[in-house]
Amino acid sequence: MTSISKNNLDTIKACRYCPMCRQSCPSEFISYKESDTPRGRAMLLQSVYIAGKEYDKSTVEAIYNCFVCGSCKSWCSGFEIGAYNIPELIKFARKDIVRKGQTLEVVESIKSSLLESDNPYQIVKSASFSQIIEEKKADVLYFMGSEINFRNPEIARAAIKIFNHLNISYTLLKNEPESGKILDLLGYPDEAIIKAGQIYSRIINSGCKKVVVSDPLAYDAFKNDYPGWGFKFDSKMKILHMSEYLAELVKSGSLELAKTTEKITLADSEFLGRFNAVFEAPREIIKSSAGDNFVEMRWNREKLLSTGEAAFTFNDRLFTQGDKLGEKIRIQAHDIDCTIIITLSATAKNNIGDHADIKAVDIAEFVAELI
Amino acid sequence: MKLEQSSYMFDMVLFELQDIVGKDYVSTKSSDKEVYSVDYFWIPEMWHDRQKGRDLTRPSADFIVHPANATEVSKILKIANNYKIPVTTWGGGSGSQGGALPVFGGIILDTKRMDQIFCIDQNSMTVKVGTGIIMQHLEWELEKQGLSTMHDPASANCATVGGFIAHRGTGVLSTKYGKLEDMIVNMEIVLPNGEIIKSLPVPKTACGPDLNQLFIGSEGTLGIVTKVTLTINKIPEVRRFRAFIFKDLTTGLRVGQRLMTEKLQPSVIRLYSEDETKEVIHKVLGIDKKGAYMVYGFDGRKEMVDLQLKYAREIADEEGGEDLGEDLGQQWWKNRYKFFFPPYMFSLPQCFGTLDTVSTYSNIENIFNAMKNVIGTKYPQARFIGHFSHWFNWGCMLYARFIIETPPEDPHELLFVHNSIWNDALRAAIEAGGVLNEHHGIGLKLSRLVPELYGNSFDILKNLKKSLDPNGIMNPGKLGFGV
Repeated sequence: MTSISKNNLDTIKACRYCPMCRQSCPSEFISYKESDTPRGRAMLLQSVYIAGKEYDKSTVEAIYNCFVCGSCKSWCSGFEIGAYNIPELIKFARKDIVRKGQTLEVVESIKSSLLESDNPYQIVKSASFSQIIEEKKADVLYFMGSEINFRNPEIARAAIKIFNHLNISYTLLKNEPESGKILDLLGYPDEAIIKAGQIYSRIINSGCKKVVVSDPLAYDAFKNDYPGWGFKFDSKMKILHMSEYLAELVKSGSLELAKTTEKITLADSEFLGRFNAVFEAPREIIKSSAGDNFVEMRWNREKLLSTGEAAFTFNDRLFTQGDKLGEKIRIQAHDIDCTIIITLSATAKNNIGDHADIKAVDIAEFVAELI
Repeated sequence: MKLEQSSYMFDMVLFELQDIVGKDYVSTKSSDKEVYSVDYFWIPEMWHDRQKGRDLTRPSADFIVHPANATEVSKILKIANNYKIPVTTWGGGSGSQGGALPVFGGIILDTKRMDQIFCIDQNSMTVKVGTGIIMQHLEWELEKQGLSTMHDPASANCATVGGFIAHRGTGVLSTKYGKLEDMIVNMEIVLPNGEIIKSLPVPKTACGPDLNQLFIGSEGTLGIVTKVTLTINKIPEVRRFRAFIFKDLTTGLRVGQRLMTEKLQPSVIRLYSEDETKEVIHKVLGIDKKGAYMVYGFDGRKEMVDLQLKYAREIADEEGGEDLGEDLGQQWWKNRYKFFFPPYMFSLPQCFGTLDTVSTYSNIENIFNAMKNVIGTKYPQARFIGHFSHWFNWGCMLYARFIIETPPEDPHELLFVHNSIWNDALRAAIEAGGVLNEHHGIGLKLSRLVPELYGNSFDILKNLKKSLDPNGIMNPGKLGFGV
């Protein structure tokens, strides 16, 4: 049997028969199934790691149905002293599943796509935004992330508009690689480390002083995973999410936004907010333009609703029900009469979507419109 | 009918179920069978916990089905009758009595897709919902409009409205607002034969027996409630608490009785036995005092609450209570759910159970002592604690618990110890004027004791069951009905 850490065992033992965070789990919103709850997953993992059962396919599916959003942690009243950590447990289990060669076909195909084309969707590399850019020496390296690179180039264009407007010396990585984060979340740490090594060298060689990241997954990887993988950035090298970078510019007076009269709210990001405590920077930017027209949704900051940033598969298929997650967020925005939801990841923007009465706008697009 | 997965009859039934609800909403996966084989009942948890190296199996469903509405439920029940397949209804799976366990296999009918809010009527102050809605989700929607059902149990996070109807659930505010059963205006029910019926539009009629009452608390043995209209309330202007320590349980009980019978209308009274004060209150709230801890609370218009608190304080002072102040009362309210989260809750490998019962003020302390005595005498390895948490004009509920820290290793032996404690404690309670349960229900756990509780009147319930469910497909093995 694979050895499992005490922390992960504690999580299994605490969560396996406890349903108290069920109301917050976004994967259960999708399927209504008990196996798609933290309790269900912990029960299944108890059978594997404590009782010694072999994984079967349906258990593997349940483990991959988790969105690793950490909502269960935020809603656990025992977390403060128990430190029960379902996302960490799930990441461990996925690595073990891969090690045992029992992963799902769909997961394998995402891995292949990430390794070959730097995106999870089998989109050819030549279709990426970064394929056309010219890499140069610059102070700021803008890292988009695969979702923007392959699906939402408008966010990258907005970022570029801001850099140009402020005469900032910036560059992108030509054929920007995936950060390795998705590979790691799917259970492929070795492949993730290889990717990370490639990116790390290119960032270092770029000579940049700041890395500005749009993708919360990549941001989380640079901040929290890379050092452990042996790729620690020099303390002088700043890693900033786009919202942190823009908030600094607003605070210093270098960036002034036109006033907007639209009622605006913010969809917090699980990987930026919950896992890295970046909550205030996007608010400072929005408030600098919207003032009192910025309104909080009912569930914000630590209690945010999952945007699906790490929802890759569901029931052995690519996850295609992001709209259901987005709808929950739209309903909240609707409740406070907001017409615009600012998002902090391309995935959030895509899942919330554009609708007749409400539209999702990335933080970079929001700023680019108002300069 | 016993269904073997290798038999073509299994696929025949599966095909029919998929035809009703769609492929995504019928599961025969082993992971689902495993997870739906354990609810919040201690025995299946223990069986699951101790499976390593042992030949322990748990009854599991053949099909887990997620219908979207009463029509689909109806069709599923017709199929189940055609083939004589057991149907066990599952809401949130958070019941502690094993009521949702598919002990004879067959179909688990998970109600959580029926989670719509159909209408909030602020004139009549009612809300109509699908019974699969998670209670907390309903509360969040109502809260947007300054409303609440005031049904506020710890399991609101995870349990469905239907689950509360099935076992007569209650919440911490029940002393003022009633149990869930008191909040029911009308219901839509699918009978075991698939017929969809509705109870009368309002409950307080003189049109014969109340149909609602046939199905409330029936734990899925007589039908499946698919929609319900519940009463709602405006969220009160203020909600305030005060905590006291009384020298002993007897004094605390007298204070509670006076608060109720002198008609002060508290929304909350919680009185903890000396042992539970020492153990649980100390652990969760950090209060290190000897005696019986009580918190009471009032809510409503500020001036009214001020007055209620004033009179309640007078009673507490007259009974010699040590005032712990509003903050310690408020702290209890803030932490009221914390008792149910790990690491605060009792959990395996401990052997434990909640022996809740309800009785008159004249009997309730005797019941507490009778239970404590039988457990103390026959099971020295067990601790016994209790608190009194749902109060009526005539009596109150005892939430007693036993805990064994280091129970026997062998699961078979342990099951017998567990069940013996339950039998002895509840027989002592019944003899002293109590009943089997106040709000957790009967389920599988207490099924064997139901005929004893009812005596010869149980025949009426058995005949009712036979009449509504002649094939015995509805949640067999529960509520004393057998198979």
